[in-house]
Amino acid sequence: MRWVDFKEGLKEFLDEFKREKTGIAGVVLLVLLILVALTAPYTTIPDLPEKWRSSAYWEDNPKNVPPTWYNMFTSQKLVPQVVYYKDDLSIAHPSNTETVIEATYNFPDGYYLGPQGIIIRNINVTVNQPANAPTYSLYLERPDGKTVPLVENKPLTGSTTIAVGRDAAISANIYVWLVNVTEGRELDPFQAQMDPIVIMNINTLISTAFAKVEPGMKAEDIINNPEPLWGDYKLVLKIDNPAPDQNKVIIDDIKVTFLGRSYGTMGTDYLGRDLWAGIIWGSRVSLTIGILVSVLSTLIGLVYGVTSAYLGGNVDEFMMRINEIFASIPSLPILILIGATVGHVTLMFIVLLLVIFGWMGIARISRSMALQIKEQTYVEAAKALGAGNGRIIFKHILPQLLPYAFAVIALSVPGAVIAEASLSFLGIGDPTAVTWGQILNAAQTQSATTKGYWWWVLPPGLGIAVVGLTFVLIGTALDKILNPRLRKL
Amino acid sequence: MGYLKYLLFRIANAILVLLIVTFIIAALFVKVAEQSNLAKMNDEMMQWDRTTGQNILRTQGQDAYEKAKAEYEEFLREKYELNLPYWQKVYNKAIRTLKLDFGTTTTPIFGTNDVAEIIKVAVPRSVLLFTTATIIVIILGIFLGVRAARHAGSVFDRGLSVFALITYSLPMWWTGMMFLLIFAYKLGWFPLSSMFDPQLTGWAHVKDVIYKLTLPVLTYVFVAFGGWAWTTRNIMIGTLQEDFIMAARAKGIPEHKIIYGHALRAAAPPIVTMIIFALLGSLGGAIISELVFNYPGMGRLYWVALQQNETNLLIGLTYFFTVLYLAGVVLADMIYGFLDPRVKVGASSKM
Repeated sequence: MRWVDFKEGLKEFLDEFKREKTGIAGVVLLVLLILVALTAPYTTIPDLPEKWRSSAYWEDNPKNVPPTWYNMFTSQKLVPQVVYYKDDLSIAHPSNTETVIEATYNFPDGYYLGPQGIIIRNINVTVNQPANAPTYSLYLERPDGKTVPLVENKPLTGSTTIAVGRDAAISANIYVWLVNVTEGRELDPFQAQMDPIVIMNINTLISTAFAKVEPGMKAEDIINNPEPLWGDYKLVLKIDNPAPDQNKVIIDDIKVTFLGRSYGTMGTDYLGRDLWAGIIWGSRVSLTIGILVSVLSTLIGLVYGVTSAYLGGNVDEFMMRINEIFASIPSLPILILIGATVGHVTLMFIVLLLVIFGWMGIARISRSMALQIKEQTYVEAAKALGAGNGRIIFKHILPQLLPYAFAVIALSVPGAVIAEASLSFLGIGDPTAVTWGQILNAAQTQSATTKGYWWWVLPPGLGIAVVGLTFVLIGTALDKILNPRLRKL
Repeated sequence: MGYLKYLLFRIANAILVLLIVTFIIAALFVKVAEQSNLAKMNDEMMQWDRTTGQNILRTQGQDAYEKAKAEYEEFLREKYELNLPYWQKVYNKAIRTLKLDFGTTTTPIFGTNDVAEIIKVAVPRSVLLFTTATIIVIILGIFLGVRAARHAGSVFDRGLSVFALITYSLPMWWTGMMFLLIFAYKLGWFPLSSMFDPQLTGWAHVKDVIYKLTLPVLTYVFVAFGGWAWTTRNIMIGTLQEDFIMAARAKGIPEHKIIYGHALRAAAPPIVTMIIFALLGSLGGAIISELVFNYPGMGRLYWVALQQNETNLLIGLTYFFTVLYLAGVVLADMIYGFLDPRVKVGASSKM
């Protein structure tokens, strides 16, 4: 094939492709997907795969919450995440030994529940004189004038993190306050911590601090069914440092997080991981594996089929037997088995496995196509001129099948993407990568479907579907151009 | 080459492939079993050492202990077949598998340890679910595909194509998860788990089974029928452009008869092949879909076997799948040769 012919052919092909609306739509989608995949580190969190598996990194996020925009579609509105840094807080020093840090939090009207928790982080302390160690107290001042004592006079050590809504002692304090207001009884905080009702509701007692609490109400009803008390709340953190010269309290990096009941663009999973970031990063693996597997297996299948057809006779027979052997081994179970025994699976290993079990169909079809081509006169002529087998196969027969190969490559991408997702879904995947299959695997093991966490299940599958659709659109357009029978329509 | 000879050749061919594949499977699984058996043996050895071994050491002295220990180790090696060389084990396993002697599992599944019995319990369940669904898909797919081909380019045809392209890119198990979310969690029409209630019998049992099957069947049909319709449409459009259809039309044969009598018959061989593989494939179940629906069929059984490291069961299941596939190949060849006489003289004479 001369260069001029190639250029001519390409131009003709492009002209025809431009007329296929579905093909154009596919190409547009593909460009978008590639852009999303390439810009993932800049649009979301850089180095996500390293952070994905460290639960400590996601501690400041609420767990299992839907995306924020979901509020538009539901009557029970869910508060979003609110974060305060040093500049957002009012910090006062009433005396030499005291520091008071205040955060004003607005619980907006019409919202269903207050925050899922409050996390205060990065209070760094250097203690040189342990006898006079600094202490802290934490209060929540409510719009109805009541104050919930969350922590009182606890020593500060090293780097302190206060986790309201996760800390059992704090939850017990909330319960003590609740019983005090409703029934007028004074409970012992240590006793309260053992109370089954506190142990059962450690993570939900925080809701009562943001609920209507009046004398005469029943504490248990409030815990089970808190009625929201909307308005401005004030979180007050008092740090008492009796020896400010020896013991230093540094609050320059302080971060106060009111955990939302909804989060970000795609919500969070059971570890509080930002699913949006995971989905965006997952597109990288999906695209890479899909394209790599389909290109490799198509090329291998093509060369294999053509070689088999061209050589003919016993060699053909032998090669087709090998093809049948590979085709008749049930691939998914064997893939699972190999993946499970190898232990640490890398992405390249998955590509290799999928290629090994993916080239057979193409080999069969290209063999039958090559059987016809090899009978043509110009092949005979080349043979008569003394061209070698390799030359005839690669120079004369394969180029004829190349246009067909492009359609096959495009059409087999969805299968490869689904295959990778299936393996990851079964827990056989590269543990250092973030993939859609792994997100769905976590969703399945945490029974997200039976708990109704749709934001965890829907997006990864939609991602797979979009990648699939992109390549199917391109593939069918190519197929229509290259398969004249269907073109008549 | 006559039809019978052609068929015999294909069967011999399939048997040869089955032999080779069985050896490959045995080689793979024996390797896996070797590791777990070694671990099991070491466990039992330690157990013995702590109890019986220490006892002998105390009462009969060092020499007797060493001797008893060596004896016990020998016994265990034999029990776990660790005394044989690797290829000997592979050969034994493959031969036993070919004789359908799959052995037993270490823990009972479905109330029995016999691998063959376990498979016998699971197969009908997968058949019930996937074969039912496959039949619905085939009927729906062919009917809609033919309709689309007749009105090629119409709104119906385009709509069907778009639907087919979208569902082609969907993993079935994900669609299952979504259906569970919508129909089982949100609307509450179907159960969240498709595990049967073992206490029910008679009519109540039938009702329970139907209730639990509906959602998985719906999922399968939803994902698969578009692709079937689309393939049928493409094959039919190709056939409808053949000369003999033109001729039939020119003769004034009613359109209905042309479509179903002439065109569909000519398009039958590839469609029949698809039907055979779809039906046989349905016996195997779908591993992930059964996991998602928590349905107790072949696919879930495979998963359980993997989790519990039941090598014998794994070999049995894999062998079953392989036999099914090869049977499908032979069957498809048979019907192909029957429907399309050219195959017997054309392709097979060149083989």
